Amino acid sequence: MRRRKKHLLFGIFEDFDSARDVVSSLKVLDLKEMVVDNIELYSPIEHPEVEEILGDFHQPIQRFTLFGALSGAIGAFLLAAAAAQAMFTVQPQGGKPVIPLPPNIVIAYEGAILIGVLATIAAFFIYAGLPRRLHKHYDNKVSIDQIGIEVQVLPENMHLVRAVFDSHQATEIREVVQ
Amino acid sequence: MEHQDTMKDVAWAKINADVLRSLEKPRRIFWIVLAVCALLVLSGVVAEIYQYREGMGVALMNRPHYWQLYISNFVFWIGMSHSGTLLSAILLLTKADWRKPIYRFAEAMTLFSILTAAIYPIIHLGRVWNLYWILPYPDARTIWPNFRSPLLWDAAAITAYATSSALFLYIGMIPDLAICRDNAKGWRKKLYTALSMGWMGRAREWMAFRKTYILMACFLVPLAVSVHSIVASDFAMSIMPDWHITSFPLYFVAGALYSGCAAIITLFVMLRHIFKFEAYMTTEILDKTAKLTFAIAMAWNYLNLSEYASIWYSNDMYEKEVLLAKFFGPYAVIVWTMLLCATVAPFAMVFKKVRHSMWSMFILSLVLQLGMWLERFQIVSPPLASNHEPWTWAVVWPGAVQLIITLASFGWFTMLFLIFCKIFPSVSMYEVKEMVFHRRKASSRARLEDLSAIKEEVARAEEGLQ
Repeated sequence: MRRRKKHLLFGIFEDFDSARDVVSSLKVLDLKEMVVDNIELYSPIEHPEVEEILGDFHQPIQRFTLFGALSGAIGAFLLAAAAAQAMFTVQPQGGKPVIPLPPNIVIAYEGAILIGVLATIAAFFIYAGLPRRLHKHYDNKVSIDQIGIEVQVLPENMHLVRAVFDSHQATEIREVVQ
Repeated sequence: MEHQDTMKDVAWAKINADVLRSLEKPRRIFWIVLAVCALLVLSGVVAEIYQYREGMGVALMNRPHYWQLYISNFVFWIGMSHSGTLLSAILLLTKADWRKPIYRFAEAMTLFSILTAAIYPIIHLGRVWNLYWILPYPDARTIWPNFRSPLLWDAAAITAYATSSALFLYIGMIPDLAICRDNAKGWRKKLYTALSMGWMGRAREWMAFRKTYILMACFLVPLAVSVHSIVASDFAMSIMPDWHITSFPLYFVAGALYSGCAAIITLFVMLRHIFKFEAYMTTEILDKTAKLTFAIAMAWNYLNLSEYASIWYSNDMYEKEVLLAKFFGPYAVIVWTMLLCATVAPFAMVFKKVRHSMWSMFILSLVLQLGMWLERFQIVSPPLASNHEPWTWAVVWPGAVQLIITLASFGWFTMLFLIFCKIFPSVSMYEVKEMVFHRRKASSRARLEDLSAIKEEVARAEEGLQ
């Protein structure tokens, strides 16, 4: 089956404030005429307020962290306990418990952190969509000091988005077909 | 006088250009220091081969004294590793923006300190070829590592810390690696392309990045504290006088932070000069780091004195004898020099002139580190010379092999660190940009507030005239 081509308009802006205005205008456009399917914002630094304008990104990374930490703790505890069991036949315990709690808790603590960190990083790669190939229209100006906005739009409505970009003094506008 | 904030005026393109230039053209001193370090490492390798072939006796390590410089060095380097990641994580969570130009190299310092520390237990084993015995695997004799031993906790904690610190450093570097990728050519381009994993600065990437970074920081703070507490347990879990101390874990953590902060200052001054980072590593940041170091030094001193006091007032004859032997016995010179360097010297940081002078702080940071290194030595060796077993009472000083391997470890650490700074950006470009962005915003907000205050005043004056 042939993949449908994506039509994108990519604009570059001087600062974040104008980019924010652009997104707000596009959102209004989106609600009224249903032309904008997808908006992507590229920036050289993090702007936490971007969620207010683009909407909530569903990234439950902390759930991975919790799951990782719990399974790490349990796994490490079991490893230490199993090691003690394995030695039970060859090493006399001298009245001490076969599975001692305090030392095993130390091992479980370290296991919780190690696996918790690894799970967090796995979640980061999943939700950030990394690793991936660079987009053909990626412009390295967005890693210096400019803000890029990429809008997926129907070809017949391209002119509407372009007009919004123009009205907010985009320094560069590119049409991309993927 | 009000402090002039110069950082808010730095252009973002200049930040990229300055940091990227540091990857290409360091000062000539870089190559000189690197060559000296390589020579030190080489001499260490020769000494280790000699020790490997002849046995631990050539390092003057024999019954009953096995714990000497290698263990002191291990504790020292683990301690050194603390400030980097721990301070970076704490300052991130407390939103201290002055950390931004210095946290990257501090985190790298952590990683390379751990790599240096990890060498010592291996060297100390003597029978290096049996290293794999420490791994939990089902062998033919069904002997598993004994997880009740603090040495095994050490292995677990250090593995977790080294892995997490390396990942914390790497994740924090991804946006900068993308900048490097966009500007590099040849092998560097390939390396940065692979490591940046296609980062483009998309909003979803930034959101996931920030969440991940903060979650990792939350993990790293307790992890770092646990690592040095566990190293302290290597001593405190024994029944040796002067080691079996309740406050040892806390004392070790404070000492680790102290030596780590001093190391940050040393590397701060070094990098500023070698890579021409004068615009980013400012006296303002040095001042704050020095104040932090001073505060930690005082905490460490308090714990040190409380340890002496608790031994003295408990009047335990064994503990007291070891304490007196420390101060007036054969190792007295070490203890007094340690007190001079680590207790008296930090008071120089009370003076603003000292805190603002790069050279004074550089020298002072070296003195503090010497003090902390001696502190580790006086924890390990003197108690072995006067403990419960009179047959072990012997004063042993480290031999040439131990000293050469010790020097080599400093060379190894500095060499790895300099190579890192030559390949990867040692100042975080995107975080410095964030700092500039927020300071500029705060400054324009303040200017607007001033303007509205003036307007209000004029309006009031006009009302008064009418």
